[in-house]
Amino acid sequence: MPGPGKHYRGNRKGGNNSGHTLASVARETATSLPADSPVLAIFKEAANKLNERQDRHERLVKLSRDITIESKRIIFLLHSPITKESLENALTEAKERIQKLINGPIRSIGLELENSPAHLHSRAVTAGFQEYIEARTLLSLMADKRIITYPECQKEFEYNITDDDNQRPVVTMLSESDYMLGIADLTGELMRKAINSISSGDSEECFLACDVVRHLYTGYLGITGSRLLIRKLPTTRANVNKVEMAVYALRVRGGEAPAPLLLATAPAEWEAPLNLSDDEGYY
Amino acid sequence: MCENHVINNIFTEFQKNMDTEQEIREVIRNICKDVGQISREATTLLQVIHHSDNGIMAACSKARDLFDKARQGYAKLTEAVPPNDYYKYQEHWRTMTQRYCFLIALTVWLESGILATHDTVAQVLGISPIEKKTGFHLDIEDYLNGLLQLCSELARLAVNSVTRGDYEKPLQISKFVMELNAGFRLLNLKNDHLRKRFDVLKYDVKKIEEVVYDLSIRGLRPKPEAVL
Repeated sequence: MPGPGKHYRGNRKGGNNSGHTLASVARETATSLPADSPVLAIFKEAANKLNERQDRHERLVKLSRDITIESKRIIFLLHSPITKESLENALTEAKERIQKLINGPIRSIGLELENSPAHLHSRAVTAGFQEYIEARTLLSLMADKRIITYPECQKEFEYNITDDDNQRPVVTMLSESDYMLGIADLTGELMRKAINSISSGDSEECFLACDVVRHLYTGYLGITGSRLLIRKLPTTRANVNKVEMAVYALRVRGGEAPAPLLLATAPAEWEAPLNLSDDEGYY
Repeated sequence: MCENHVINNIFTEFQKNMDTEQEIREVIRNICKDVGQISREATTLLQVIHHSDNGIMAACSKARDLFDKARQGYAKLTEAVPPNDYYKYQEHWRTMTQRYCFLIALTVWLESGILATHDTVAQVLGISPIEKKTGFHLDIEDYLNGLLQLCSELARLAVNSVTRGDYEKPLQISKFVMELNAGFRLLNLKNDHLRKRFDVLKYDVKKIEEVVYDLSIRGLRPKPEAVL
């Protein structure tokens, strides 16, 4: 019956129960703990370990953020030049700034992780590394017309640290998946580059960028087993589409493009629809 | 075109490494399946504590035998995991290891009433307690998670021992869990999975407190000299 039950409970809460309330029992147990109990010692040690780990994580996140910001600026710098001379200047400056990143925050990450297990903090640094790879590969593509490979990137992260007359090698570990994710982002930058180059009249640049984006996309289609990469695939696909549409527009309204480029491939393009006039709709 | 060649290389290299990784994962998964099975056996075995007082010690010694088997599994796992890649593959054995930490801590508590240290648990599993740059070890967070599971199990045990007429055990449990509770308060937990698990602890504590309270107001609480 609800009535008496409630009444009883009310009594129990407010009434006299010889000093035993829930809180008092709890307090009694808590205060009876000796300050130097072995259990507390275990937890103090655990607290130290956890704090150390968290602090390190925070420092790494900060370094990673620095790398991200500077990499974004380098990418912006690489997009800005229009003339050939300004391009040379931009490339030299970008190279210097990349080198500064390598010797600055990236080196600090290597030192920070010198004695901790690899991959424990990979989540803290992945964003920075991806952005860095984006900048680094864009630079290599513009300067040397080829994409710098993973082993080459990793090799740039090897340092010789000298302190107190002791030399020791330190390596900042770059994970291959960060490299691949960075390259996936590179397709976005190349897309922008292609579209920019149309507006500046440099159609050769545009075709080149389109080619690279297409090859990269083809490569990503063949990759299996990486969840993170598959998540980026739709973006990459969108980038390919945009570039291809841009190149298509350049061809169709080819009047603005330099003549030699169009002439080289024009016959094959124009003959096909003439021979197969039925297929006009396809084109 | 040379560009094509470089890009192709990048992707074939990556796919090759991915395939190697998949193979390693497969090996790890198989080992974890076997070792995980042992942990479930031990869990079932130790459930006896909730309905029979006499079976406890026998269950403990049987559980110890299972831990010996698990140790062999962990030895295999240590071999299978590349020394640099503990945290790369950790997700495969994480839950299982937490379960073992709980089981070992429970067994140790039932046997001797003390808290199994990080070192003890690692020793039972035959792995290192120290986190180094390379190699397999017992992660501190997994150990702490195991202790939180222990508290939940003890809260249940407190209720069930009263049902059995054992009025002393809840007090022992209360003291032990309050000590752990005080300990966990020293930790500076982030908003992560350990923190989420820790948030359950207060309900366990409350449950145990209520049992102790019920015993107290009814005068069922055993006096130091004369046990009722």
